[in-house]
Amino acid sequence: MPNAYFAHGVASGDPRPTSVVLWTRVTPTAASKPGSGQGPNVSVTWQVSTTSAFTTIAATGKVTTGPARDHTVKVDVTGLKPAAPYYYRFVYAATHSAVGRTRTAPAATTSPANLRFGVVSCANLQAGWFSSYRHLAKRNDLHAVLHLGDYIYEYGPGEYGYGNADVDIRKHEPAHEILKLADYRQRHAQYKRDVDLQALHAKYAFIHTWDDHEVADDAWKGGAVNHTEGVEGSFTARRAAAHQAFDEWMPVRMSGSAAPGDGDQIYRRLQFGDLAEITMLDLRTYRDKQLAAQVDPAEADPDRTITGRAQMDFLKDSLTRRVAQWKLVGNPVMIAPFTFAGLPQNLVDPVNDTAGLLPRDGVPYNVDQWDGYTDDRREVFETLRDNGVTDSLFITGDIHSGWACDLPADKATYLASRNSVGVEFVATSVTSNNLKDITGTPRRTTSVAVEETLKANNPHIKYLNFDDHGYSVLDITAKRAQMDWYILGDRADKNTSSTWTTSWATTAGSQTVRQVDAPVGA
Amino acid sequence: MSGVQASRRTVLKVAGASGAAYAFSTAAGISPAGAATKKRAYVLVIDGCRPGEVDAMPNVAALRDAGTWYPAARSLPVMETIPNHVMMMTGCRPARNGVPANQIYDRTEAVLRNSDRPTDIKVATIIEQLNASGRTTGTVLSKEYLYTVFGERATHRWEPFPLLPVTEHSPDVATTSAAIAMVEQFDPDLVFINLGDVDRVGHSDLTGTTLKAARQAALASTNIQVGRMVDKLKSSGKWASSMVIVLADHSMDWSVPENTISLTSAFNQDPTLTGKFQIAQNGGADLVYWTGSSSARSAAVARMRTLALATTGVFQAHVISETPSLRLGANAGDLLVYCKAGWRFSDPGPQSNPIPGNHGHPATEPIPFFVSGGSPAVKKGVARSATAHTMDVTPTLGAYFGVKAPSSGWEGTSRL
Repeated sequence: MPNAYFAHGVASGDPRPTSVVLWTRVTPTAASKPGSGQGPNVSVTWQVSTTSAFTTIAATGKVTTGPARDHTVKVDVTGLKPAAPYYYRFVYAATHSAVGRTRTAPAATTSPANLRFGVVSCANLQAGWFSSYRHLAKRNDLHAVLHLGDYIYEYGPGEYGYGNADVDIRKHEPAHEILKLADYRQRHAQYKRDVDLQALHAKYAFIHTWDDHEVADDAWKGGAVNHTEGVEGSFTARRAAAHQAFDEWMPVRMSGSAAPGDGDQIYRRLQFGDLAEITMLDLRTYRDKQLAAQVDPAEADPDRTITGRAQMDFLKDSLTRRVAQWKLVGNPVMIAPFTFAGLPQNLVDPVNDTAGLLPRDGVPYNVDQWDGYTDDRREVFETLRDNGVTDSLFITGDIHSGWACDLPADKATYLASRNSVGVEFVATSVTSNNLKDITGTPRRTTSVAVEETLKANNPHIKYLNFDDHGYSVLDITAKRAQMDWYILGDRADKNTSSTWTTSWATTAGSQTVRQVDAPVGA
Repeated sequence: MSGVQASRRTVLKVAGASGAAYAFSTAAGISPAGAATKKRAYVLVIDGCRPGEVDAMPNVAALRDAGTWYPAARSLPVMETIPNHVMMMTGCRPARNGVPANQIYDRTEAVLRNSDRPTDIKVATIIEQLNASGRTTGTVLSKEYLYTVFGERATHRWEPFPLLPVTEHSPDVATTSAAIAMVEQFDPDLVFINLGDVDRVGHSDLTGTTLKAARQAALASTNIQVGRMVDKLKSSGKWASSMVIVLADHSMDWSVPENTISLTSAFNQDPTLTGKFQIAQNGGADLVYWTGSSSARSAAVARMRTLALATTGVFQAHVISETPSLRLGANAGDLLVYCKAGWRFSDPGPQSNPIPGNHGHPATEPIPFFVSGGSPAVKKGVARSATAHTMDVTPTLGAYFGVKAPSSGWEGTSRL
């Protein structure tokens, strides 16, 4: 049971063969509220066991925390056995936290039979309940959870909620747009008090990256659409505060370590035997500003970047170094190209609203995705093609809709050549608004025509669902990778159910997606 | 005279099921058809097949799914037909086996030629090793240069016929009929089969795109031929004692005529290089041989590398003596230059290579590779992420038949 000392639950993340990051937040005194800067420095004990009863302790230690790090506790436990389940808990003032469960990665030289991940993104607390997290937490067959970003949202109450009227199913704390360190800390703390999120964190290790809303909407390296320089302070200071709070509150190794404050590089790799290696990307911190409304030849400007040079080289190395069969990329925004050309004008606005920044009379593509940085995408796709890379798999969030796509080596000739360099699976949002929410129409009405138009004009897009919220399950074997899409009932219903809706797979070596008729077993 | 050697073999004309006659040359003193309990192995090369194309061939996909599949398998440099078939049969790479590419510059004879002479292979093949162990072997190779490079090593050799003009290969229907006739007549312990249609149609597909109608038709046809072969093994009771290794020697990439690269013209712009190099053209890879003075070699190779890398369409350029991981050996010359996907080399001039489908460059490394068949030695229905290579065929056959590596050694790994 949650208790006063450990009101924010427990979490683990970034599993490696012999180590994993454990996290909690201790509230030693009533005054030690998140973001308050109040309260004493205290020592917290952590324990790791192979049994849930902690009859034997496999590893233990103490961590000192205090107001300087918002009383968060984060430890990189080493010396563990590969591919093994572990239980962990924290102890303060003779009181135990809830027990968490985690699992180490398989050893690099081994061949795991499969890997199975929950896949989630875009969880806006004001827009509804986190039932996706609850349903994933009920499963017993996952190895970890991939979170592709928008884990928190920066808005204040009334600014971005449920549906086209922006109804707040729950209200954000603090009750205004978050700008400063104390704000970001309080917002993280609020999310961490959600019982469904706590359940999933306690059940599985997370592998996180961030997208824009961990800082502000449509962030780029020097600003964000939802940031007014000066009035809201400097973007540099705001982002530093957001990154610091993320580092404190999330079970992630940043710049290679679990210690807060020693760097904010979140792009990194995690290997799972010879079956798969995951490269988690940061497509916000190093990117140039999104293009403005008009069709702009600068879209293909080789000097504009979404990754930054160092991260691009890191990604290319991931794709070509051949340490594992499947090259997974945790990709915060879509890489498959697509055009909105052919879409009726009255539907362009809501699609734009769902898909990101896209002004009314503007460009027929989403400038916030890789489509707005085509020279970077060209470099990635050419790397895949020139090196004969097989089994690269982009797993994506951001766009609040479900997609399965081939990645055309040349979009213009794809219809004739079917020449694909990899595939992309996009998970829908946990709660954040999608097309039907914005148009205010019932599901499977307005959106169907939009989806069919997009698929007709973009033949490499094989599956598209603009209507549903939920989560995905990704299962990887040497023979194929399969993604299952699960959808929720009403986000406003705290106890809403979840239903399997479709599954798509890519056969090893094929670089193309195909529909399959059943999900992997729950 | 070669007739002396030929006289040690007998030529037998065998009537196949269709009534057509197949000519086999057989080493002297071999008695046909072994016992029913023996182990059999068939190596089936679908020349130039891309891994993603297997699903278009249900009979081939069935073999893949029933056996042990290596989805991350790759061809080895240079990703051409002769060197990769030689790697399959020698278990080692060109630095050791002597065959780095289809075309080489022969410094001794001062000519560009195909590396297709029996004497080009410098180590013992698994064919000779099996013969030496008292077993019999057969080669059913659809391409003229494969027929010649493996020469009279096998106990039984099919002479490919008819050879189609231009492609110089025998169509899969004839090749498969010959393989079936060889199995019926001689039942060799190992049969090494090359099916050339998928590759040859790839080369002659002038549309510059993949999976167009001709390629699809070739895949469908090859699928039928593989099915015939499997059916024959099953109906004749041989399946349960058979291992069938299915793979490709390399993949395939397509380019449009505008995307051709001529290193000859690039190098000739430098007067210190003019007339002092030879280029062996291997589709997506050029092998460059310095023919000037040895004292100038190092500087000249560095200069050629710089010029190659500055040429549009070039992907990589490796100084062979400084890149031991290539394992290409001295026969490969001084410089290996790869093109990017969607390009091809055409030397000496832009019209020299009119073929749109090419291989030899890294884009053409991925290959299908699976070990199937009814033999209990074959693990059924599994896939492994390890990177298998063409050179793994011989160690796999060695493990299957219980034959150890020759003194020259194997570099590959058994994939049983």
